[in-house]
Amino acid sequence: MGFIETTLSSFVSLIPVTLAQSLILSFVVLGIMIPFRMLSFPDLTSEGAFPLGGSVCGVLMVAGASPIVAIAGALLAGFVAGCCTAFIHLRFRIHTLLAGILVMTMLYSVNLRIMGRSNLSVFGSPTVFDWVPGLQGGFPASKIVVAGIVVLAVFLLLYFYFKTEKGTAMRAVGSNPDMAEAQGINVWAATIGGIGLAGAFSATGGALMVQSQGFADVNMGIGVLINGLAALMIGEAITGKQTVLRQLLAPFVGAIVYYQLVSLCLAAGMPPPDLKLATGLFVLIMLALPSIKRGRGPAAAKETFRE
Amino acid sequence: MLEVRSARKVFYRGQPDEKVALDNLNLTLATGEFGVVIGSNGAGKSSMLNAISGSLVLDSGKILIDGDDVTPMPVHKRAARLARVFQDPMRGTAASMTVAENMLLAELRARSRTFRPGLNAARLAEYRERLSVLGLGLENRLDTKVELLSGGQRQSLSLIMAVSDRPDVLLLDEHTAALDPRTADIVMQATIRTVSSLKLTTLMVTHNMQHAVDFGDRVIMLDAGKVKLEIAGEDKKNVTVVDLIGHFSVKTDRMLLAS
Repeated sequence: MGFIETTLSSFVSLIPVTLAQSLILSFVVLGIMIPFRMLSFPDLTSEGAFPLGGSVCGVLMVAGASPIVAIAGALLAGFVAGCCTAFIHLRFRIHTLLAGILVMTMLYSVNLRIMGRSNLSVFGSPTVFDWVPGLQGGFPASKIVVAGIVVLAVFLLLYFYFKTEKGTAMRAVGSNPDMAEAQGINVWAATIGGIGLAGAFSATGGALMVQSQGFADVNMGIGVLINGLAALMIGEAITGKQTVLRQLLAPFVGAIVYYQLVSLCLAAGMPPPDLKLATGLFVLIMLALPSIKRGRGPAAAKETFRE
Repeated sequence: MLEVRSARKVFYRGQPDEKVALDNLNLTLATGEFGVVIGSNGAGKSSMLNAISGSLVLDSGKILIDGDDVTPMPVHKRAARLARVFQDPMRGTAASMTVAENMLLAELRARSRTFRPGLNAARLAEYRERLSVLGLGLENRLDTKVELLSGGQRQSLSLIMAVSDRPDVLLLDEHTAALDPRTADIVMQATIRTVSSLKLTTLMVTHNMQHAVDFGDRVIMLDAGKVKLEIAGEDKKNVTVVDLIGHFSVKTDRMLLAS
């Protein structure tokens, strides 16, 4: 009885912190979902774009830029990184995954160059979380409010975008590039723009994270991709992905549920070093499920990705 | 009007397996004319269609649509003037999107896409009307994902999508070959109805000699990357399957059986 009580009480006390964290990291999940689901382009750039956003944001903040300018700079840098991955794939016909690994690896050096060292403190600089009236900046409540508003705005914008003529065209590129091209859609432009957008979201997540935790670190991206994938899988299991609305809800729902689950595991006494193994196993099971199910019953519809 | 002028394409140039796919091919299709292309495997039918649509870059020669040189244009630019129905029903539609969304993509083929909402009530009503022509009930399944449709339904949808904005040139790439005979017949009838009512300039590749006899204003036979034979006018009206097969350099019983 005592175990469950202490687990629950420490879990509940962690909820505000993990909720703030999951809202911020939902941008990374979004940056993974858009290439993966909307463009059939498995993209690993986010592992490098996330710390890139953090580095750019940190350097700009230290230089005295306003927190909004710092986030805008991070967003732009992430967009460029995403564009690079898409371009490498399209121009040199390099596998999407390899293109992502190349960019992510090169970004590690770029991030070190940007910051000039491996760790940069931005404590004391103003952040977007200071701007909530009636709340003191730096506390989970203000982070939840600010991140929540941004999440809601991004969600609505994307929802309307994917319903527009341009957004429909972008989804067609993911669904069937040959068909999209034959329908007059510029596959290059849509792919580069879409992957760039995803990179921008990942970098924005990094920037918000830096403002939230008060420092930028060159290693802050390690594992963020697999966490994001796990969150996406959970989100899709809950919301489904039959419609644009459901597919778009998945990253946000998934991020919140995933980080609560992690928090629950840690509260229950799971050693933190084991977390990545557990997350990896979970993603593996979610990805393997269709093929396990295929053993019995009819073949599941195969998903095709660009190579 | 569609013109192919001295189109030449060589695959694996300089290698032992060098293959001349198009050998200074010339072809002119008048506006509103329906040409049927036949020829044995490797005669250059697909290469010609790919060269016209832009997915194959010519070594030399030109492609003109209504007098405009489209040779340097990539596929998505040519799509503004040209529509294509592929042999594989999977290729011509976006499987994970709905029937209505596919129709929208086709409607926007020749236009610049905006940030306005794509599907609206007026468009849906229009799509319903266009699809009802087929008599397959697709008009009641606008929100169905295309992956849930049968091959025949998908191919019929591809056809309606291809003709939706009256393209200057319509390319039909053995578009009934992957369907069962009854469905192939339905799709073929729909093709003939729309092509003749819209008076589209059409180039259809087929392996079905009966189709070549029954439909179209002109039969164009390709061999080794060149036009070997053209039958038009009165001769076209009187031609028979046996006549056509007589012109093939390599004859097989399968051709007759397939007809």
